Amino acid sequence: MENKRRLIVLIAPPAIVLAIFFLAPLVIMLLYSFKDSTFGPMLPLSVKHYMIFLQTPSFFRLLLDSSKLSFLTAALSILMAFPVAYFLVFYTGARRIILLTLLILPAWTSFLLRVLAWKVILGSNGLLNQLLISVGLISEGAPILLYSQSAVLITLVYVWIPFAALPLFAAMERIDPRLHEAAQDLGASPAQTFWRVTLPLTLPGMASAFFFVFIPTLGEWVTPTLVGGVSGIMYGNLIQDQFARALNWPLGALLSVVLLVLVAAFSYVFNRFIPITEVPVST
Amino acid sequence: MKKTRILFALMVGAALLLSACAGGPAGPAEQKNDSLTVLEWSGYESETYWGPFAEKYPDIQPDYAFFSEDAEALAKAQSGFYFDVVHPCGSWWGLYVEAGLVQPLDISRLSNFDKLFPELTQHGVINGQQYFIPWDWAFESITVRTDLVDEVPTSWADLWDPQYAGQISIFDSGESTFYTAALALGLDPYNTTPEQDEQIKQKLIELKPNLLTYWSDYTEIIQLLSTGDVAVGANTWNDAWSTLAEEGYEIEYIDPLEGRISYACGFGISANSENVDLAYDYINALIDTESNANMANDFYYGAANRDSVALLDPALVAKFGYDDLSILDQTNFQHPLTQEQREKMTRIWNEVKSEQ
Repeated sequence: MENKRRLIVLIAPPAIVLAIFFLAPLVIMLLYSFKDSTFGPMLPLSVKHYMIFLQTPSFFRLLLDSSKLSFLTAALSILMAFPVAYFLVFYTGARRIILLTLLILPAWTSFLLRVLAWKVILGSNGLLNQLLISVGLISEGAPILLYSQSAVLITLVYVWIPFAALPLFAAMERIDPRLHEAAQDLGASPAQTFWRVTLPLTLPGMASAFFFVFIPTLGEWVTPTLVGGVSGIMYGNLIQDQFARALNWPLGALLSVVLLVLVAAFSYVFNRFIPITEVPVST
Repeated sequence: MKKTRILFALMVGAALLLSACAGGPAGPAEQKNDSLTVLEWSGYESETYWGPFAEKYPDIQPDYAFFSEDAEALAKAQSGFYFDVVHPCGSWWGLYVEAGLVQPLDISRLSNFDKLFPELTQHGVINGQQYFIPWDWAFESITVRTDLVDEVPTSWADLWDPQYAGQISIFDSGESTFYTAALALGLDPYNTTPEQDEQIKQKLIELKPNLLTYWSDYTEIIQLLSTGDVAVGANTWNDAWSTLAEEGYEIEYIDPLEGRISYACGFGISANSENVDLAYDYINALIDTESNANMANDFYYGAANRDSVALLDPALVAKFGYDDLSILDQTNFQHPLTQEQREKMTRIWNEVKSEQ
């Protein structure tokens, strides 16, 4: 009984904060999606904006397109962060924390600045073009990469690599070195050790790295605005437009609800196939 | 289990209540005496724009709440944010009046009112009463880097010419793009049938091969044109041409066959204002000859005050016709939009943008 009371006291403050600042806003968002107009009365509930969404296939296509882009971003970030994390954990010894800090260091500058930097690199008079011109590959500056979906992908991967590296680093660091020794004793080659020991034990880290990147990038609108051009628009831009320009909060809320449902469904399916908590982690 | 359900029900109830408050009429405003709260575009707080107010009330420093989109200002006002004076643009004025957010003005309390161009002040009259006092006005047209194109476009319809493939950046706005497509098709943007709306949407989708990117603030389009990433800036304001011309670029601001688009922005006083006297004095200081000219010179816009024109850069006055507002008759002046019209225009633009 005493324990239970203590538990309640301990859990209550974060629970209240979560309820007020996380759950209540979500409920408000859900309610807004059923409103008829932004500033009108709440009742009667209306499905007007749900109909608009269903009648506009391009909205849904854009959502799928953005999901693909976020998926690709997450996969590439993990692919590129993996060797870095691996190197840091297994080859750098005591300096690993310093090196990890260096890896995360760019994330300390403003997110906007890092995105804008890519504009400088990829633009007509940008570094990449100047390099290509001086090498003689192209004759005049043209924004070949900027303002495209590739530009969005490149920029997002760059921005999110540190966030993918962290959970990978944490997962690898938890691997007991004795497991590697045991594998070698039993005659496993380095490749076999990697495939049968290191990689499976890193899976939970990969799963969290994937969600760390996939979920925030799916709602992205700043990067596509700055470097995406006409073909690089993402679903997040649609939502932003409803709130910032159209003053159509119900449609904006609805678009957000659809996004939320998609992410929730995706997490559920993903969790069923890669149960993060059940992957054995050595202690 | 039961407890969580009750908790959840409570939360839903609280959320319902909150959203009802946000949606309902503005709650009781916070009382403020001897101060002035101005809901203003960022960048317009300079004292040189309201000098006479500072002279009269040396102890009062206006409190500014800044916004960067008209929608943001209206949302703030609608949700009960306290302000005395607000500075929206013409196509949004009607919504303030419709929602009862601003009060009819007594123009006899503004000694500078008679100096204003009647061609502009007439647009501040809604339902027979003066609600808004125009201050700044500008065009929306096409800015072209003449050194980067073979032929300079002469109409809005020319934006669709395949020779500009990937060379255009257009203003990222449902209202402006709807307007542009309607003008290119020879339609009246304010009276379109659903079939014509569909036609406008298709027309805008057809424009996409010519577009490199959208621009959303003036620094962005000026940068795009100066780096040469794009050669044509569509729905750009006077400032794009002025800034680039000043820096020596080969640049033209065209006068399309269908006419430029034009608009004015201006000031209204909140229906809940506790400082009406100060608000009138503040607005009167803004439309003072010198203040109005200072703003117009800083932003390359037109001034609503007729006498301010003499203080403007003569080259710009000649270029844009700031001295004779009969020029507005040759343009498509933006009128107030209803919320339905705005939602429709943005929805069409969103559908165009999401068409990959």
